Amino acid sequence: MNPDYNKQLEAAISRELKALPELTAPAVLANRVMAALEQRARVPWYRHSWQMWPVVLQAAALVVLLVLFGGLCVAGWELSQAEATTLALHRVGEWFSGLSMIENTFKVLVSAAVLVVKKLGTGFIVTCLVAAGIGYAMCVGLGTVYFRLAFAKR
Amino acid sequence: MTDAKQFEGFMRNYQNMVFSTAMRLLTNQSEAEDVTQEVFLRAYERFGELQGSPAVGGWLKTVATNLSLNHLSRYRSRWTFFSEIFTGDPDAGGEPEMEFADESNAGEELEARDRHAAVEQALQKLPTAQRVPLVLYHLEGLRYEEIAGKLGVSLGKVKTDISRGREALRKKLRLTLEPENSLTGNA
Repeated sequence: MNPDYNKQLEAAISRELKALPELTAPAVLANRVMAALEQRARVPWYRHSWQMWPVVLQAAALVVLLVLFGGLCVAGWELSQAEATTLALHRVGEWFSGLSMIENTFKVLVSAAVLVVKKLGTGFIVTCLVAAGIGYAMCVGLGTVYFRLAFAKR
Repeated sequence: MTDAKQFEGFMRNYQNMVFSTAMRLLTNQSEAEDVTQEVFLRAYERFGELQGSPAVGGWLKTVATNLSLNHLSRYRSRWTFFSEIFTGDPDAGGEPEMEFADESNAGEELEARDRHAAVEQALQKLPTAQRVPLVLYHLEGLRYEEIAGKLGVSLGKVKTDISRGREALRKKLRLTLEPENSLTGNA
């Protein structure tokens, strides 16, 4: 395509599109927005996002959160120094000793899977994975075709 | 006059502009209404700043454009890949030619309609991949680079899509290039 043609086409399309008048918004739209605003105004301040809170309350919330954070840090430090904490941690460790059984089971399962792979050969496994991939792609493709057919502009 | 009343007046002044921006990008009335509502809810939060500002139109258009593009990208990513495979002939404008009016009655049909309605309809029938950059370029006044940035696609793709969109519109509107550098429409 020659550049002149492109320029002429651009100018013509621009003219056509810029000549379009604004579309008329539905008459109910303004009422809908006003209703949404009224509904929003009825919601108490603490149900709004933090950015929408009054500035004084924002500052107060910030101070409270900082104090809480500081308190947690101090309490954490104090606890970590106490003998009772060491004892408690030891007990907690005992509760989780059962986890080692799960770990052993998992190791057995993994070694069984490795044995299966060795027996069947990697080719079989790769074929299975490729088949699963193709199946997934087909599902996505058919879904897309359905979507396009269902929502096609007529 | 209360704030709410002032805002209602403000909204009535700009609602057609915002709705048009959303509608031309989304081509779906209920989605365009949702976007328009969201734009005005955001405008209400900044009503103090916006009121009387000369940039208010630009601000509203930008928010409407961004919200519409966000809305499109939420759905587009799921099926763009396949929809682009199915577009077939690149010169066909991404949509089957059978969507156009029949050769024999195209002139009559276009004559029977209002010119703007025909352009509006032709624009809405363009595939999203062509319509969106075309609207952003010609109606929102964005540059190719800005469009590429907003849509997250390459500059080359934006140029190609806009070029195909123009060509598809030319066909749909039966515009013919005249040797003396002017175009005429048969509508």
